[in-house]
Amino acid sequence: MVEFRNVSKQYDNGTKALQNVNLRIDKGEFVFIVGSSGAGKSTLIKLMLREEKPTSGEVIVNGFRLNRLKRRQVPRFRRTLGVVFQDFRLIPYMSAYDNVAFAMRVTNVSAKDIRHRVPYVLGLVGLASKAKIIPEKLSGGEQQRVALARALANNPDLIIADEPTGNIDPELSYEIVSLLYEINKCGTTIVIVTHERELVEKFHNRVITVENGAIVGDTGEVWDERQ
Amino acid sequence: MKGSNFGYLVKEGVRSLWVNRLMSAAAVGVLVACLILVGGAGLFAVNVNSVVQYVENQNEVVAFAMDGITDDQVEELDMDLHMTPNIGEITLVTSEEALEEWKERMGENGDVFDAYDPGEIFPVMFRLQVEDIAEMEDTVFTLMQHPYLQRVNSPQEIANTLTSVRQIVSIGGVLIVGILVVVSLLIIANTIKITVFNRRKEISIMKYVGANDSFIRLPFLVEGLMLGLLAALLAFFAVWGAYEYVLHWTAEIQSSWIQEARQYFIPFEKLYKPLMAAFGALGIGVGALGSMVFVRKYLRV
Repeated sequence: MVEFRNVSKQYDNGTKALQNVNLRIDKGEFVFIVGSSGAGKSTLIKLMLREEKPTSGEVIVNGFRLNRLKRRQVPRFRRTLGVVFQDFRLIPYMSAYDNVAFAMRVTNVSAKDIRHRVPYVLGLVGLASKAKIIPEKLSGGEQQRVALARALANNPDLIIADEPTGNIDPELSYEIVSLLYEINKCGTTIVIVTHERELVEKFHNRVITVENGAIVGDTGEVWDERQ
Repeated sequence: MKGSNFGYLVKEGVRSLWVNRLMSAAAVGVLVACLILVGGAGLFAVNVNSVVQYVENQNEVVAFAMDGITDDQVEELDMDLHMTPNIGEITLVTSEEALEEWKERMGENGDVFDAYDPGEIFPVMFRLQVEDIAEMEDTVFTLMQHPYLQRVNSPQEIANTLTSVRQIVSIGGVLIVGILVVVSLLIIANTIKITVFNRRKEISIMKYVGANDSFIRLPFLVEGLMLGLLAALLAFFAVWGAYEYVLHWTAEIQSSWIQEARQYFIPFEKLYKPLMAAFGALGIGVGALGSMVFVRKYLRV
């Protein structure tokens, strides 16, 4: 599902963001990636989304070898993912419904299927009654749930959430991660990048710790043994 | 791209015009101002050219035939003059006609000519209209070579002055319109750049959910086209109104030379087609191309 093979990333300004990272996340996993600011978490995400290319090594996501992916092939790859950002990234003038529908229109889904699917995913995140409301009239937690519904719209195999609880209250943070946890139970692989260790500890899942551009801890094996 | 999606994207472009109405209004405003300046400068140059053309046409060369020329030779000369390049209208004035003309001018004293044979004092002459006064000197030289002509009178100094005026108006007009077009393009480019910059986040969201470049571009293209079209229409009507006003205003000025020149101002009915085409091409072209070029920068996410 996600594989990093000896991946290093150095930016043009000389910053070495990642050094020789090896990582494997299998289908159906629920993984937290934690680390302090500047540890390299954002670079990991950028590489997974093919926003950046590694300086060396290989990144494979959903079967796409991202190093070799041409620019025009990137949209096709991104349609296999759901992405949730800290700042929600909703289109401000579109209603909750249209924000979710937009992600489906991009993939050429028929209008009939959109009408069928959007209310369903909004229902999954508990926002069926707020479909017509624009983002600025929704609370932070609700906006993040719209973003989550958008990520779910195309029924992706993998959802990547970059600090999904960074802009919402602690009690709502738990709610959002729980929602992702429920989605994971249906078979969707979830990767959550966060710096909130307290939140991570509430869920007994695999935790990958990144420090100074390297993976310094991975509870993956321990978790596997417990299973 | 599915038809329903195409329709959706066109609708999105139209909706986005309204959603971003402040920036849309700014872009249209700038485009209208630039088109008015370019159109105004163009119309001014066209009209000055028309007036200069008229003044040019008032200049004629007078060619005097040799004394004692026969009717057959006059006919031959007339044919030769018709073959001479750069000669437009040719008017033959016989000795008798010249005499009558002078009698009329002299009024009561016209009878002083009665004692003379017209052929003795007034040689046969041809009034020749020169088509391009810049070439007048060469034309006069050619005429002087003709054996049946004894003298050619030409207003060479006036011709030189008018040629210079026409050159200044033509080159100056092209230069001013050219500079205005470049300045306009820079201002418009900047306005569109700001419009697209304000929406860079929206573009990046589209990229993250897997929209391909054409899906993102189409609404911007529609928006740019509509902004350009709207600006072209507004500028056209503004220039039209201003032009009619200037024509009306000059009619009330009590100056003989303005009234004289005014007859050669080109009516708007003769100018509206090229003006509309130029505004349409410039407005729509700049709007659509500008949007496309500047969106490109933000597509690299």
